[in-house]
Amino acid sequence: MAAKREPRIGLFLCHCGKNIAGGLDLEALAESSKGLAGIAYVTTHKFCCSEGGQAEIAGAIRGQNLDRVIVAACEPSLHLLTFQRCGEEAGIEPQFADLVDIRKWTMPGSPQKVDPGLALEESRKTVELAVKRMRLKRPVPLVTVKAEQAALVIGGGIAGLEAALDLADKGYQVHVVERQPTIGGKMALLYKVYPTNDCAPCILAPKTAYANIHPKIELLTNAEVRSVKGHVGGFRVEIVQSPRYVDTDTCTGCGDCVAACPRRVRDDVYAAGLGPRKAVFIPYDQAIPRKAVIDAANCLYFRNGTCRLCEKACLAGAIDFNQQPRTIGLSVGAIIVATGFEEYVPSAKTEYGFGRFGNVVTQFQLARLLDIDGPTKGRLLRPTDGREPRTIVMIQCVGSRDETAHPYCSGICCMYALKHAQIIREMVLPETEIHICYIDMRTPGKGFEEYYRRTRDMGILFIHGKPSEVAERPETKSLVVKVEDMDIGRPLELEADLVVLSCASVPPAGSEELSRILGIERDDSGFFKELHPKLRPVETRVRGVYLCGAAQGPKDIPASILQARAAASFADGELRRGTIRLPASMVKAEEIEKGGA
Amino acid sequence: MDRRDNASSSAPALGPDASFRRDVLRHEEARGLYACFSCGACTAGCPISEVFPEFSPRKLAKRVKLGLKRDVLEDPYIWRCTTCRGCEQHCPQNVRLYDILNVLKNMAAEAGFAPPAWVEQTRWVMRTGLVYPRDAALAKKRRARSLPALMSRGEQAERLIARTGADKIKAREEP
Repeated sequence: MAAKREPRIGLFLCHCGKNIAGGLDLEALAESSKGLAGIAYVTTHKFCCSEGGQAEIAGAIRGQNLDRVIVAACEPSLHLLTFQRCGEEAGIEPQFADLVDIRKWTMPGSPQKVDPGLALEESRKTVELAVKRMRLKRPVPLVTVKAEQAALVIGGGIAGLEAALDLADKGYQVHVVERQPTIGGKMALLYKVYPTNDCAPCILAPKTAYANIHPKIELLTNAEVRSVKGHVGGFRVEIVQSPRYVDTDTCTGCGDCVAACPRRVRDDVYAAGLGPRKAVFIPYDQAIPRKAVIDAANCLYFRNGTCRLCEKACLAGAIDFNQQPRTIGLSVGAIIVATGFEEYVPSAKTEYGFGRFGNVVTQFQLARLLDIDGPTKGRLLRPTDGREPRTIVMIQCVGSRDETAHPYCSGICCMYALKHAQIIREMVLPETEIHICYIDMRTPGKGFEEYYRRTRDMGILFIHGKPSEVAERPETKSLVVKVEDMDIGRPLELEADLVVLSCASVPPAGSEELSRILGIERDDSGFFKELHPKLRPVETRVRGVYLCGAAQGPKDIPASILQARAAASFADGELRRGTIRLPASMVKAEEIEKGGA
Repeated sequence: MDRRDNASSSAPALGPDASFRRDVLRHEEARGLYACFSCGACTAGCPISEVFPEFSPRKLAKRVKLGLKRDVLEDPYIWRCTTCRGCEQHCPQNVRLYDILNVLKNMAAEAGFAPPAWVEQTRWVMRTGLVYPRDAALAKKRRARSLPALMSRGEQAERLIARTGADKIKAREEP
């Protein structure tokens, strides 16, 4: 074996205008870096990413005979590709071009900014480590592997379905994994959607129905991802599908089993805890698949071995108590995470009485109460006495913009509060007084400010203030909301027959586990983390795994659709050539043979 | 006691009254009040607020929407509006605050909260047809310009004002 040749590393320190040069002594950093083992050349440039900066790097690679390059500047997610491409132009493989972030210590506005002395010290450490790493790097050859012409979409809500349909229409085989027994996600439960007040199931149905019949889409409901191995182009996925105890091939969705079932339980999902369902049930009329499902935890047969009335009632013989969990193995080229969100459970905000006072509900519960297919068939009735409320108070930012719960703005709550106020005023109870207590109204979408104005014109009253507490009058179960109206600077007591809490959108249960299975990060709020908050909002740190919809952060339907299409576009971009070049270290030997490099 | 000193937090909580708001907004010209989102451009441009900072069109609009009936009708500041309509010029939501103020003044007058000076002046106009008292100097000036002497009584004005019902208005009791 030939003697190991010392690599010739070029180090380029970027001023980034004054973002870096203004916060530390770059010349001192350059001087101290010159002595590092492996360093052959050090220089600084005002903007390394500029055309001139890149030309200088390329020139130095040729002129100084460099074989490795480190740029100390900004975040790798921002410009690593820039410098890898620049190096490649001058004959250096991408794996031997690196970018390390020293700007975080110096840039005005950076949360990690420190004084110039400390910034210099931290930057020295950063550069020293980068140089050590680069010096020890061995070349890893790139190999060509097969890109599976298939994708996995995790989550069958509006975002996941949009991405699935996009990819399926492009010719990829798409597997949609949905935890619930029906696809459709949260959107199916919204009754109407802003700013058009369209019927939500009506505008969702074309997507769900198309996904259901699409020859390139496989819907796996009642299913969850258990493990993921492999790499972009060749992920090996294991999925577990829970038994439905109903054979979906023979079930006709007639509902005879539901009628026969003697066991009535509270429906926490499709009636938001405000109505009953049977132990065997069809989630709702537009459910897909529109097939019955047995809730084993409540079924009398599973509890004590009796009953089986559904089995007797089913003429098709579709009930199958012997179904077992099924493990499904898939091979896919890309994975799209569209696991959405959940509504924050506001019982922790004890001052608002949710869970204690029967007439305090959440906006998602209100949506079910307003829905003509909901537990009250669209009549707005108070949970405690079935009376129509004469006065309603909505409280915004419950669990959002709250350092004791979730610091972020959930972004959709202002609009859905306006939507529900409009629906009640226009279609349900026109005489009912509606007050919306808010900190700020945020309506930045297209047509949204007009929607807000229309809500005001309807005579909905806005109270500029966050209520301090909700009290209940024991005799009537009505409520008193204490709030200071900031506009007039005086405390108010609002009488309310019904209080509605606009709660934060939070990551769904299981997000942490899924982040481990996929190897992707989560942000401080628990949502899945994109590669760059501004420029790379769809990619994750795992190549081939993309995000869309509320899984990446709270967002509304138009934004989810956009991101879903973007995620599908990224997946298509990776897979469309049929092969992918990857570092050999990522790929198993037998696969390289199979892929035919 | 100045009720518009809102700084004191010991004030008891107010109970909004929707019927007052509806009474005000029954008037077509006041209907736009719902559009108000309390941006405060009206107050920022109000010459009265400049002189009397305790008066705020923004807060007045909200007090009406909240239905704080007595609080609004008793408010002496609603009578101090110069009718410059600056608030309407500044309003980004086309709220006709000047018209709303007229509705409020009518309601306040009916409820017996008109300021004595305002009632006195109305009576003067009914009696004389003039806003200001005439005096010997004015009569002399008119003579010098060959203008006819003024009527001794404002009969037309009296009839006009009587039609509006302004003659029935009682002034509020000053402390």
